[in-house]
Amino acid sequence: MGDEATQVSASSAVAVHALCFAGIVAAHQLSGRGMLVSNPAYALRLLVVFEAPLVIAVFSLLCRNPKRCSFLKAAARGLLGLPIGAFLNAFGAIVLGAPIGIKYWAATTYWSLLMSLFTFVPAACVFGASKVNWQAVLSHSIYCGSTDSVDYMISAPAHGAVIGAWLGAWPMPLDWERPWQEWPISVTYGSVAGHLIGMAISLALVVTHKRRGRAKAD
Amino acid sequence: MAGGGGASPSCAAVAGWTVTAVLLQVVGLSMFLYGFFPVKPTLPGFSGAESYRMPSCGLAGGGEQPALPPDQLRSLYRELSEVPPVYDRLVLMVIDGLPAEFVLGRVGKPPSKEMVESMPYTQSLLAGCKATGYHAKAAPPTVTMPRLKAMVSGAIGGFLDVAFNFNTQAFLDDNLLDQLHMIGYKLVMLGDETWIKLFPKLFWRQDGVSSFYVKDTVEVDFNVSRHLESEFAAKDWNMLILHYLGLDHVGHIGGRQSVLMPQKLKEMDDVIRRVHNAVSGLEDNLDRTLLVVVSDHGMTEGGNHGGSSYEETDSLALFIGHSVQSSYCSPYDQNEALQVDLAPTLSLLFGTPIPKNNIGVVLPEVFNSLTDQQKLRTLELNSLQFLRLLQAQLPAFCFEDCINAKYGLGIDKIPQSVEKKLCHLLSKAFDSHHPSHLHQTSNVKSIEAGCNRTAVNAYYEFLRYASEWLSHRATNKPFYLLVSAISLMIVSCLSLMGIVSCLLKGKSLSQFEHHSEWNSDYHWHLDEVFIIMGIFLYVSSLGSSSFVEEEQYTWHYLTSTLYLIFLIKTTQSMLRESNSTVARAEGKIFHGNDCSYFTSCKLIPSMRDGYKLCTIIIILVSGRILRAWHQGGVNWVHFPDISKSLAQADSFVVKALQIISVLAVVVFFTPVTETKEAEYSARMIVAMQLLGLSGHFGLGNTNNLASIDVAGAFIGISSYSTVLSGILMFMITYGSPLLLYLGMVVYISVISSDDISTPHQSKWSCILDKMITLPCLLPLLINSIALTSYTIVLLLMRNHLFVWSVFSPKYLYVCAATVCTCAGVFIIAVTAVYTCTVFSFRMRNYKDKSV
Repeated sequence: MGDEATQVSASSAVAVHALCFAGIVAAHQLSGRGMLVSNPAYALRLLVVFEAPLVIAVFSLLCRNPKRCSFLKAAARGLLGLPIGAFLNAFGAIVLGAPIGIKYWAATTYWSLLMSLFTFVPAACVFGASKVNWQAVLSHSIYCGSTDSVDYMISAPAHGAVIGAWLGAWPMPLDWERPWQEWPISVTYGSVAGHLIGMAISLALVVTHKRRGRAKAD
Repeated sequence: MAGGGGASPSCAAVAGWTVTAVLLQVVGLSMFLYGFFPVKPTLPGFSGAESYRMPSCGLAGGGEQPALPPDQLRSLYRELSEVPPVYDRLVLMVIDGLPAEFVLGRVGKPPSKEMVESMPYTQSLLAGCKATGYHAKAAPPTVTMPRLKAMVSGAIGGFLDVAFNFNTQAFLDDNLLDQLHMIGYKLVMLGDETWIKLFPKLFWRQDGVSSFYVKDTVEVDFNVSRHLESEFAAKDWNMLILHYLGLDHVGHIGGRQSVLMPQKLKEMDDVIRRVHNAVSGLEDNLDRTLLVVVSDHGMTEGGNHGGSSYEETDSLALFIGHSVQSSYCSPYDQNEALQVDLAPTLSLLFGTPIPKNNIGVVLPEVFNSLTDQQKLRTLELNSLQFLRLLQAQLPAFCFEDCINAKYGLGIDKIPQSVEKKLCHLLSKAFDSHHPSHLHQTSNVKSIEAGCNRTAVNAYYEFLRYASEWLSHRATNKPFYLLVSAISLMIVSCLSLMGIVSCLLKGKSLSQFEHHSEWNSDYHWHLDEVFIIMGIFLYVSSLGSSSFVEEEQYTWHYLTSTLYLIFLIKTTQSMLRESNSTVARAEGKIFHGNDCSYFTSCKLIPSMRDGYKLCTIIIILVSGRILRAWHQGGVNWVHFPDISKSLAQADSFVVKALQIISVLAVVVFFTPVTETKEAEYSARMIVAMQLLGLSGHFGLGNTNNLASIDVAGAFIGISSYSTVLSGILMFMITYGSPLLLYLGMVVYISVISSDDISTPHQSKWSCILDKMITLPCLLPLLINSIALTSYTIVLLLMRNHLFVWSVFSPKYLYVCAATVCTCAGVFIIAVTAVYTCTVFSFRMRNYKDKSV
């Protein structure tokens, strides 16, 4: 499976991450400073609207078996994966203590859609129903012995987003009485920050992987 | 572990080391407790007529005097004290949370203009020299009940006195109110019901208001003031206590700068005006009334209290009466006093003995109407009371020895030891008070006046020094003892850590020997990394008072995350198994040894994983419900909880829910018990312990002592017994961890029954070793880490604002958790030992028969 996949060059990896990053930045610019704190549902909705087409389109192009699966099929998988991933993320968040009231309903939905775009959708677009790949993404062994640079591009930002969101929830119970301690503001900050760090790590991994691959080829 | 015996230490060594480590921990803990929370010896009983005489040396216990009727007792006291009571009536007005700064200003400056305008009448009294105000420094914890106790008894209770006073809140030590009651005073209490809790049977009339509704700033004070008219019309009382809570509530809502504050101060000023007018209008020689306005504590800028900052401890003591009037005064001088000084001052003003445990010093400016000799006598009485208290603290201390040792006036060098210094100061004071006959016969006024001044100064020198020493005795901490206690605990923790790591290494090695196909590069699993990181995160969260207050979130978060990781791992293994063509072969690797393989593979692996998945999801969901059961710890008490809504719900709904939950338990757990887990691993034990801890908080326990269910501790007990109700209370509070320890016993039996039932294993000690080492050691280790790190945190935080309100109660919980862990581990060990003995006995019988 490595043959076609390794065709993903470092420059295209940079392009993919740059596009996703641009989506986040654009949504942030449009919503304006502090909107996430004052109106989290609105800001999250903007983020989702900007990110969803970008992520689905970009990762559908990276599809693992371009011969067997067309761009449209991958995009359809991505669209299908969006609500499934959102459901899984929402389950995780609620189990970890996210509030369930009607007040938080919209924010939780948009947040889990965003998390789904960070974590589930790219994998759904690229892997489809391939169990081997899903298992690899779930474990950390992907960093040790992967042959494919797309694996890095999917898993590192996803893991980063999850870990960032997890760490972002820590200040929430404190009695500082800051507005950003509300669900899901600090968690969103954490997940976006983790996602960006994950992107940087994935780029670094892709570059080292390419170099090692080239050295082996020589 | 028969094969891997060489790699891991022997069972006896492990057991020995563990017991040693636990003993070290217990010794360290008790040393720390002794050093950090010194239990102050308090004198039992009440001061009586003997307090007007010089105490004799040796055993201080004088004979019990017969109980006299109030009138006789009053005249006896008057006769003995040689100081006539200055007042007949006392109005004690407590304004909860009023900082003295609002009335008296700060460091010699008058209060802000706004404050002066808010309290015009009080300020006019101060300016007209009709009142004397003090910055009465309150001792931490600055919360209402301990402060009221300090005011009426003059003693600063230790932390443990507050903490261990569960069974009765009634105040039993010697105090001003009981003394007044004994000489026949009638007491009326209006205001905070804390007074009624402290003195349940004392008041002639009472109307308590609750401080529970913090948002209420109006009604709570109106309910006190509405009685004023009738009380001053009736005048059948001798002491009237008015406790206004509104100002504290205003502070809690909006802080010092709240817009409600001037309004509230005006209201308080109005009450002072009304009371003062009512008592001074009727004043004649027979009916003299003292109005004392005090506050129990101050408040921070944000309106909170409990700590030891200047803003919180700066409480007010304002005396308004004829004996404080003088021709000249400067009301805004920084007049420092201690809150405990109130007790001896009021005792002497009303002609009762000073409470036994008092460490306060008489306030001089309040006795202006007395003659110089009488003033000296008040100081002497205060000194005599101190002398008795000192004799209780220092058994060797004896005043007669002091006189014999001739620390006369002439010796000016200050002796080094505390006893000698006290001796020196006291004899100096008594010498200048009762000069030799030579002085008395030379009847020159000027000499006498000079003598008085030196005597007063000498008395104050002694009283201040003794008071300071006595109060330090209640709060000082022997640093070296604490440090050595902590180092003992660290040693114990490290040795436990060493044993566990040794065992785990031995285990993985033995597994490696058994199965060469096991991952040759053994790297860390995600859940193990998380457990170590989680413990680290928890320990670092203990340093923050906010995290300690809301610890339930930390535990729930860590536990849920661990179970989510289990979920991910199970999903992963499901994916892997459905992937691989040879599921069976891989399943074989999964199991520890062959005999358990046959029993555990009744279900095909994917099925087993499916059950596992379901179980984990059930645990996660019920964990989330448990979290919603009691959401708030200390700060978020007002959050909506399931428990609160259930308490308000219909009984039919509650019963239906109970039935549903019972059915759910039966349905969910029947299949679960059928699937046998063959993995016997450290992470399972840690997961169970985490579950127990988050359950502890989920059931409504917090790190605040107030959340302990005291009422439950008396269910089914026919007569009062501290031990029985203590055990019950412990079991109620630690029900969830104890249940999980019992669950661990079940878990062990499920895992190990195969080992026991196979006859070829004859070394029982090794089976025992395998059964109980990890289940016993891991809880001990985790608890030891928590205990040791929290002890260090407590020592570092000993000067923190919240040391008494947050950190110390939490430390008691940590100690109780240690007891709980030890009890749980003991149960596990004893059960396993018993089971092993029974099996070995039966096996031997069976062998004998077959032979």
